[in-house]
Order: sequence, then C-alpha cells, then structure tokens
Amino acid sequence: MKQAGSKNLFSLNNRLKRLKRDSNHWAILTLVLVGLIALPVISIGIKLFSGPGETWGHIVENLLLDYIGNSLFLVFVCGFMVVLIGVSTSWLVARFEFPYRKQLEWLLILPLAIPSYIVAYSYAGILDYGGSLELILRFFGFDFVRIDIMNKTGLAFVLGISLFPYVYVSSRAFFLNQANNLMEASKMLGVGEIKSFFKLILPLARPAIVAGLILVLMEVLNDYGAAKYFGVSTFTTGIFRSWFSLAEPETAVYLSALLIIIVFGLILLEKFQRRKIQFSSSKANSQGIHRRTLSKRIQYLIFSFVLLPVLLGFIIPVAQLIYWAFLTYENVFTSSFLIISLQSFGIAFLTAIVTVIVAILLIYFSKWSRISSLKNIAKLGVLGYAIPGAVVAIGIMIPTIFIDKWLIGTLDYLFQIQPGLIISGTLIALIYAYVVRFLAVAFNPIESTALKVNDSIPDSSRILGVGNIKTFFKIDFPLIKTGILSAFILVFMDVIKELPLTLILKPFQVNTLAVKAYEYASDEMVMEAAIPSLLIILTVMLPVIFLNRLLVK
Amino acid sequence: MLQIELLSKSFDKGKNFALKDVSFHLKQGDVCAIVGESGSGKTTLARLIAGLETPDAGIITIDGKIVSSTNKLVVPEKRKVGLVFQDYALFPHLNLMQNVLYGISKDKNKNERAEEVLKLVGLKEFKDRYPHQLSGGQQQRVALARALAPNPSLLILDEPFSNLDSMLRMQLRNEIFEIVKNTGVTAIFVTHDTQDALAVADEILILQNGRLIQKDEAANLYTKPKSIYVASLFGNTIQLSSDLQSAFKCPLSPECCHAVRNENFAINAECEHVTHAMVLKKTFLGHDTRLLLKLDNGQQLTVLTKDKVVEDRIIIGFNSIDVLQFTS
Repeated sequence: MKQAGSKNLFSLNNRLKRLKRDSNHWAILTLVLVGLIALPVISIGIKLFSGPGETWGHIVENLLLDYIGNSLFLVFVCGFMVVLIGVSTSWLVARFEFPYRKQLEWLLILPLAIPSYIVAYSYAGILDYGGSLELILRFFGFDFVRIDIMNKTGLAFVLGISLFPYVYVSSRAFFLNQANNLMEASKMLGVGEIKSFFKLILPLARPAIVAGLILVLMEVLNDYGAAKYFGVSTFTTGIFRSWFSLAEPETAVYLSALLIIIVFGLILLEKFQRRKIQFSSSKANSQGIHRRTLSKRIQYLIFSFVLLPVLLGFIIPVAQLIYWAFLTYENVFTSSFLIISLQSFGIAFLTAIVTVIVAILLIYFSKWSRISSLKNIAKLGVLGYAIPGAVVAIGIMIPTIFIDKWLIGTLDYLFQIQPGLIISGTLIALIYAYVVRFLAVAFNPIESTALKVNDSIPDSSRILGVGNIKTFFKIDFPLIKTGILSAFILVFMDVIKELPLTLILKPFQVNTLAVKAYEYASDEMVMEAAIPSLLIILTVMLPVIFLNRLLVK
Repeated sequence: MLQIELLSKSFDKGKNFALKDVSFHLKQGDVCAIVGESGSGKTTLARLIAGLETPDAGIITIDGKIVSSTNKLVVPEKRKVGLVFQDYALFPHLNLMQNVLYGISKDKNKNERAEEVLKLVGLKEFKDRYPHQLSGGQQQRVALARALAPNPSLLILDEPFSNLDSMLRMQLRNEIFEIVKNTGVTAIFVTHDTQDALAVADEILILQNGRLIQKDEAANLYTKPKSIYVASLFGNTIQLSSDLQSAFKCPLSPECCHAVRNENFAINAECEHVTHAMVLKKTFLGHDTRLLLKLDNGQQLTVLTKDKVVEDRIIIGFNSIDVLQFTS
C-alpha cells in the first residue's frame, strides 16, 4: 500500500533523500561562510595537537595562576562595579525627574566612546607625581597624597568606569519599557518604591542586566592596552608575551584555547540564566513614562549621583587629554599623523563595508536555503564577538601563514616567482580578522530590522516570478536600509577603537590611531598619545549621539 | 489542473504532522475552498502548493508538470501560482501601479495590463497612492490585482478576509469572487469560515488535524457530512445517542453514527419522532432562544429555537428525512 510510506518518512534514508533535494547553492554558500568565520577557532583547535611550546611548563608553574587570578579578579570586581553603577543610574533616569535629566540620560552613554586603554593613560597622568591632581591640590594649598592606580584594583576601576554603559543601556531599555506598569501594579498592592524595586523589578530585569554584564566581561577579557600599561598580567598580555617576546606561537595558542574556554563558559552561563526564566514583555509601555518628582534637595542629590560616573568616565579623562593635547600638538601634528589618520579611517571604512556585506550574505543565504537548521548554524558565525581580539588574531595568523607558505612554495616551484607574504601580514588578514571579530556588531541590527519585514513580503515577490537576488535588491534592501546604516556605523566605530588585534596583524607600513596612541604611551610619551586618542573619541562620539537619536525616534 | 498525492509535512521531524497523506485534484476553472480550524494545516497546504514550504512526502502537479516531489522542487517563482496573503503583503515602498507592475515587468503590454487589472478591482484612479494610504478593503483588492496581473494558472487566497470587519467582509467577499470567477482562473480559497466557503466555492475540502476528511460539493457537504465534525462545522448539530434515540422512539443502527441538525428540530409541530419535554431554562439570545429541556426519559437536551416558547411543557420532534448518517 502507498500509505505504508508515510510511516518511515523520517527514516535516515528518506531524510538523506530530502536533504539532497533541499541542498541548494545557498545552503552550501552559508556553510562556506560559517566555515571561513569559524576558521580562527578551528585553527587554534587543530594547532593544539602539535603540542605546547618549551616555555609552557614554565608558564603553567609560575604565571598561569597569576593570569587566571588576575583575570578572574578583574571579572568579579568590574562586574560588581558596572552592575552597581549601570543599574542605579538607569533606574534613576528612568523613574525620577531631576535637573538636566535628559542631557545626563545620553551623557551616561559617552564613556563608551573612550577606549579603556585611553582612560588608563589619562588616569595614570592625573594621579602621577606632578600630575593634574597634584597641581590642583597644591594650588588650593592641600597636601598631595598619591593614589597608586597602576595595579589590578586601579585597572578594575578604569575598566569599570569606561564599560558600565553596556549595563546602563540594556537595563534602561528594560526599565523604560516595563517598569512603569509593574511599579503601578505593585503600588496598588501597597508595596513601597524601594521594596518593589528589590522584590519585583530587579529579579525581572536580571536577563537584561546580565546581557549587558556579559558584554562588559568580554571587553574586560579582551583588554590589552590598559592591562599592559598598568603592568597587570592577564591572559591577553600573556598571549602577547608568548607571541612577541618569547616567539613561541604554541604557547600563545594554548593560552588562547584556555581563554576561549573561559569565554564560552560565560556565554553558556548567560544562556542558562536566560533559559530558566524567560520574561518576555507582555506589552510595551504605551502611556508614556511618568517620572516621580521629589523634593528639590533630593533631586540635586540624585543629580550629583548620576553626574559622578559621567565625570569619572568621560569628562575628567577627556579634560586631561585636552590639556595634554595643548602641550604636545606641535610635536604630534605632522604630515605622518595625517597619513595615520587617513589610514585608520580608510581601514575602518573598508572593514565596515565588508562586514556589513558578510552579515547580509549570512542572514539571507541561510534564509534562502531550504534547510531550516542552517539559520541556527548561521548564528554561530556571530560568536566571534565573544572571542578576544588577540585570540582572533592568533587564530587568523595560523592558517594565513600556512597558506602563504604553500603559495610561496608553489609559485617558486612553478614559475620561479618569489612574492612576499600574500595574505598574512597584509591588509587582507587584518580585515578578515576584523570581520570575524565584529560580525555580530553588524549582524544584530541588520537581523532585527530584517525580522520586522514580514516574510510574506519577500514571499510575494518570489510568487510574482522574481528570484531571490533580485527580490533582495528590489524589496528587502529598501526596507532594511536603516539597519544596514547603523550596522555600518557601529562596525566603523569598533574598528577605530580596536587595539590588540590590530597590533598583532597590522602590516608594517600601516598604522592606525589606536596603535599610534599605544606606541606613544609605551614609549614613555603618554602626553603625545592625547591627540590620536582625542581623534578616536571624537570619531566614536559623533555616531554614538547620532545612533541615540535614531533609536529615540 | 492541480493534482496532489499523499502530501505530508511535519515541522518537528515526525512527532506531529501539519499535513498527513492529503490527496485531491482540481479541474480547470474550479473554485475550491479549504476549510479548517486554526492548526488544521490549511495554510501549510497553501504554502506547499505555492512552493514556500518543502514537503516531507508527496507529489504536487500543476498543469501536468510535477512541481514538488521527494527528489525535485520547483522554486516558487517558476510555478505560475498567484497568492494573496492574509496580511496582503503589499510592497510598502512602491505605489499601487508599481506593486501591480512588479510581477509583469517583462511583459510587452505591462502598463496596459496593470491598468486593466487595477480597473478590474476598481482602483484605477488610486494608482499613484501608496499602500498605507488605502483602507484594508482597498489593500485587499490591490493584492488581488497584483496576483492576477501575471495571469497565474492557479490563484490561492489565504484567509483573505480575516482582517476585515464582518460588514465589509461580506460585501468584499462577493465582489472579489465575482472578479475571480469572471477571469476563469482556478482558485483555492483558504478559510476557517464555513459561511464564506459556502457562499463562493463550488467545492469544499475539510481539513482536520492535517488530514483531509471530506471533499465534496458545497450542497452535499451540508446534507451528507461524513462525520459529526463536518456536520457541526456548518451549524449546531445534535448527535443521537442511544438515550436520545429511545426518548424519540427512533431506534437506529449503528447507534454511534446519527445526528440531527438543530434547525430540524420542531417544537409543538407534527413530526415523525416526537417526545414531551419540560423547559428547565430559557435564555433569550435576541435572534434565537436557547432552551434547556428535560425529556420524558430524564435525558437533558439543549436546543436553539426561533419560536416563542411560552409553555413549560412542550412537544419536540424531527423527521427521519433529516437524520444525518455518518460513514465514519
């Protein structure tokens, strides 16, 4: 009977038959893209089998505990600090009316515009002997007590004060959308403001807070510049040491693998906490937000409290940089500085374009393939953002050097041509690495705007006889333009700020603003680092304001 | 024209089937309604025919060409099927003319054709407007015009009226199907509303839990439903349990498979099978009155009636000709 067939529809044989029918070229292209993006991690995994380097034993005995201890210390102290600052400030701006609230609401995002290594440079300058704090204290006739910031506690402070906006942004979004109705319900039941906050709002806001916190912790593990400058040994500085000073790639690979495990542990933790409790918003707040107005005295208290992180995370470091800029501009503004700036912007521009294109390809290829599980595989491509820049760089170095060796050998054998390095040590490797690292930054805004376009719209286009690619250009693209634009801006900003990955992979003759600032600071010329730093901050700040406007609309 | 053989689709690797072993065929020019509750698989069936979903088993043939089987799939853009979506899916950044032109951009007389179909749906003077400037009913008609423009061999309308209020719905339903019938296109109309289906379709397919349980002409479906489920889709139906059979003194066999439609019960009138009943409760519903009755043998029965019932004790009955007999 024919009917019998449907019973073993899901036998292996029938599944394979359908898989063969459903594998179109889009499915294959999706897999190729994901493979290219996963290549760095895969390379590190394969390289592990060639054994650890000679110094690995020495590192395990003498340094590894230090790396783990310091990295964990930073993760915990920073984590505590960013939650404290991020949640308290976002709650205050979401629930209370006070002077300059609107301005402070977006000023609180600005610390993100300063890369943490630059915050580190400026605080070191402020608190040093003969630094700004001493000058100011002496001017007012006070004695100067030096606060030593060049240690792991100081590093935790610097990272925390520059990274708390991640938590601020994610928890503010939750408070603005959800908290109003919940607080009203809670008050109707006779529960006071403070008790409602701790009993009701905080547990509900947890997924949002943790989402922001995880981003902070990844940045903490990614940091190289600040830790290096403060002389704190972390995983990232360890990777740099074994790669450059010890010239032992195997050891760098082993440290990278350990760091990848730690990062994926964090991601799993986040997924786990999110899965256990899933509070989806029942309905976004539609009546607008009613902020409480308290007595003038308390309003000014709140104002000062909210102003403090803005001062510490943005205004004070920038003021120090501006002061330094006045002292050094004659030495720094040269034609070579102009070239560095142009290179920096050029690389960021090119990378942003490539990354946006790859993100679009990944989203739409997996959508056009008929195999539904490919959408989840495409999402794997986004994990690059979790992997510290130094690790991505090592992971790119391994296969590109391998390919170059093979290419050079083959070309020499076949045509007696001796080209230099073709991929490794060129812009191709650098941009490849940036794409791997920042793909998520482009993927998320594009995907979320693409999700807002109902599937029936591109489906209609197909039904009317228009193929996938043409449908994309005629229908999808005009509808997701804003997502693409914000993706472009976000990647551009991230590339301008990026330091560790760039340091490892940049070609000799190429330089970026971030690397220049780092080089000045390493060469005991931290004052000269001010101008490239200010240029980075300015470049990043303008789009931050622009994007904030876009999102508020 | 359209032939479907043992079509199956599961979204969870065989645990549940959205569609299971569905087979039927349509002739050129047929207007067929697919009726089912939500989750019955009717939209999945429409999407499989259009090529937007991949079947796990089965063969779909359109105009003698196999478009879907276990080893071959024709992409939606090559199937010559027109589809009107539930949410209309008009392109928001294109005006009406551009929307209608979209599927016929390669035709020689594309502008004439676009104006022709816009005129057909009575929206020619709106051709420069954008979708958001139109009412729901107008958007619906544009979606129809856009789907008809390329002369599809098969037109599918997926719940086209579910976003409209009931007054507009009836009017638009008749308008749209007059247009569809005049063009002579073979059409499939997916709906959960049996009234809509009866009003416009020559043939009706009933889906339940992914299975095709009956396919018949509209009138037959009403008079000869194959199961109590199909019967109740077209109105309140009372199954004749053995207790009811004894109350009305009409022994039937087998006792499981008989029912009478609510409207065929008569109160205080001459009938073949009657019984006395006490009125326990009367609920006034405007158009109808709901009666809770206690029959002579103690059995309770709820019926709706248009009659004014004033007595506390009534005679209720039905004729044998109105007894529905189910085959399953």
